[in-house]
Amino acid sequence: MTFPIAADLNETALSIFAIVVAITLAVTYLASKRMTGAVQFYAAGRAITGPQNGFAIAGDYMSAASFLGIAGLIFLFGFDGFLYSVGFLVAFLTVLFLLSERMRNSGKFTIADVLSFRMNERPARAAAALGTLSVASFYLIAQMVGAGVLIEALVGIDFSLAVIFTGSFMLIYVVFGGMLATTWVQIIKAILLMTATIVLTLFVLNEVGWNPVDLFNEAKAKSPEGDAYLKPGLFLASPIDTVSLGIGLVLGTAGLPHILMRFFTVPDAKAARTSVVWAVVLIGAFYVMTTALGFGARAVLGEGGVEAAGTGGNLAAPLLAEELGGGAGTFGGDLFLAVIAAVAFATILAVVAGLVLSASAAMSHDVWSNIVRHGKDSEHEEVLVARIAALTIGAVAIVIAILGGSGLNVSFMVGLAFAVAASANFPALLLSLTWRRFNTTGAVTGVLVGTFSSILLVIISPTVWPGNDSEGGAFGFYDLANPGIISVPLGFLGCWLGTVLSGKERIAERSFDELYVRSETGLGAEVGTGVGLTGRPAGKAPASAM
Amino acid sequence: MPEEREGLATESGRVTAGPDHHPEIDWIAAEQSPEFRDLIKKRRRFVLPATVFFLAWYFGFIILAGYAEDFMGESIYEGFTVGYLFALTQFIMVWGLGWLYLRKADRDFDPLARKAAETAVAAARGERIEGEPSGHERPTGLAGGREEMRPS
Repeated sequence: MTFPIAADLNETALSIFAIVVAITLAVTYLASKRMTGAVQFYAAGRAITGPQNGFAIAGDYMSAASFLGIAGLIFLFGFDGFLYSVGFLVAFLTVLFLLSERMRNSGKFTIADVLSFRMNERPARAAAALGTLSVASFYLIAQMVGAGVLIEALVGIDFSLAVIFTGSFMLIYVVFGGMLATTWVQIIKAILLMTATIVLTLFVLNEVGWNPVDLFNEAKAKSPEGDAYLKPGLFLASPIDTVSLGIGLVLGTAGLPHILMRFFTVPDAKAARTSVVWAVVLIGAFYVMTTALGFGARAVLGEGGVEAAGTGGNLAAPLLAEELGGGAGTFGGDLFLAVIAAVAFATILAVVAGLVLSASAAMSHDVWSNIVRHGKDSEHEEVLVARIAALTIGAVAIVIAILGGSGLNVSFMVGLAFAVAASANFPALLLSLTWRRFNTTGAVTGVLVGTFSSILLVIISPTVWPGNDSEGGAFGFYDLANPGIISVPLGFLGCWLGTVLSGKERIAERSFDELYVRSETGLGAEVGTGVGLTGRPAGKAPASAM
Repeated sequence: MPEEREGLATESGRVTAGPDHHPEIDWIAAEQSPEFRDLIKKRRRFVLPATVFFLAWYFGFIILAGYAEDFMGESIYEGFTVGYLFALTQFIMVWGLGWLYLRKADRDFDPLARKAAETAVAAARGERIEGEPSGHERPTGLAGGREEMRPS
């Protein structure tokens, strides 16, 4: 099987790719030498400091969809692109106030640890694993397809080859380096992404004479939409859909397994909350600058850039970089484009590695170790299964991405991931931590209702069935692209109905006290046992100091 | 009780649960202790209004963006619109509330949490709960053994 390599291969980009890959592989090698067991594999020995974890969360969260996608949406539609950024950021307050410290205090490796703590373990764990695996796989496939499309466009490598390339590095990080390697790949990516964004933003501001208000006006002047470019409604035409999107964004993040899993990598609750605040500083600054990039692309490239920027405007930021560097064909232009391509590549790698790790933890820690083997397997076996699971999940994602090809609807898959996270994982997790009466039946019902209502509503949405003759989707009465406004209440309703309709579960109610005290005080929380990348033992240095 | 795991844990120096997983603690009493109630009350006094506020501010923004496009598109200063100002306040809100929460947690919640935990541990040391076989260790409660929970 040979892969055609496009003629216009970007050698500069490839060499910068090689540097990024070399650094991350070195990190993986160091991490693999410190691989001592399950705590190290899933949670980096809980030796990641608050600030480090803040960078890693930012690296885990800011996908290529945020970087190129939102800049592209802002380039094309102005205000509505920014609406996404706001939701993605505000979501972290939900995480900070409701989940981060409680997860750290009462969990071990996975969402299911917290969710099944006081429940009948096997069904509750199975439900939690279902939620985790659905979110992780939808998100993973979306990212892989995005990776293929972007690398093909930016570097000139064929789509399938680009997917295999990305998938292979992702698997090397996870399988050999576990959470420690994944964390450092995410930290490196966050630094690269922030640096590139800051440099581009400074260039854009320089273009408009350092006056941000001029940037707004120049962007507006270059848009055929005029005034409408700076107000809502160009992309999100239906008000109720906008609200529904908002619900999905602000609650979805609090149900993303790869983000929640990061809280198990820090030594204590203090480090967990500190890391969220570090993350929002980075992510917030990043989104403000993304606006500058989107507007900058509009001001610099104008309407003429729309076609070149491709579907969803994904290539607007790279094209802007090329233009700011001196234009196509110049040394500076090529270099800027190559750097942005490499940053996008690092961005994708960091996100997919986090996703695969969270999915493999659900397979090995939840499904295999606790459900199949009743916790009677050895630690060695559990880590081995985690590695096999990572390989399997990664391979399946690569195959689906290649079979689906570049035509696979990425925004549909991302929407689905957020919808399931908000409607299945978040309600069950929140209620298990806060509602005494909540029981196994409620948790299982809630996760099932949340997951399947999200999937069903997304399938019948106009995103999937673009109507030729009608405005709506497959069914005239239902035309929401974002299911949140229906599926999130359904998820909560499922939790509630399942609980009140089933008999009282004495154990679940009794052990609520234990989970409650543990999650709020950190009493008996898992301690760090591992060493950091540099060999520093956990908990010795002021790990949680800000 | 997964004995194999526990056994393996000690041999390899692995810690399945924290070294202080406190099987002796009476969690019901701990939950009702004045120290714990105090922690919950103080934390809730911050987190509840803060959550209501941020959700209201955020959904206010989203609903206006959905239903009041023209208002959001009005220029405040030379083309800079109401919508963008409102959006930027969301960023300020996230940073502000984040910083405030960190400060509150460091100054108020952490000492209270420590006190509540110490009280629970001290109570367990002072009086062994009847019926709980002494020296019996239960992992954090994550690896199983649910049926062995406090017999009462």
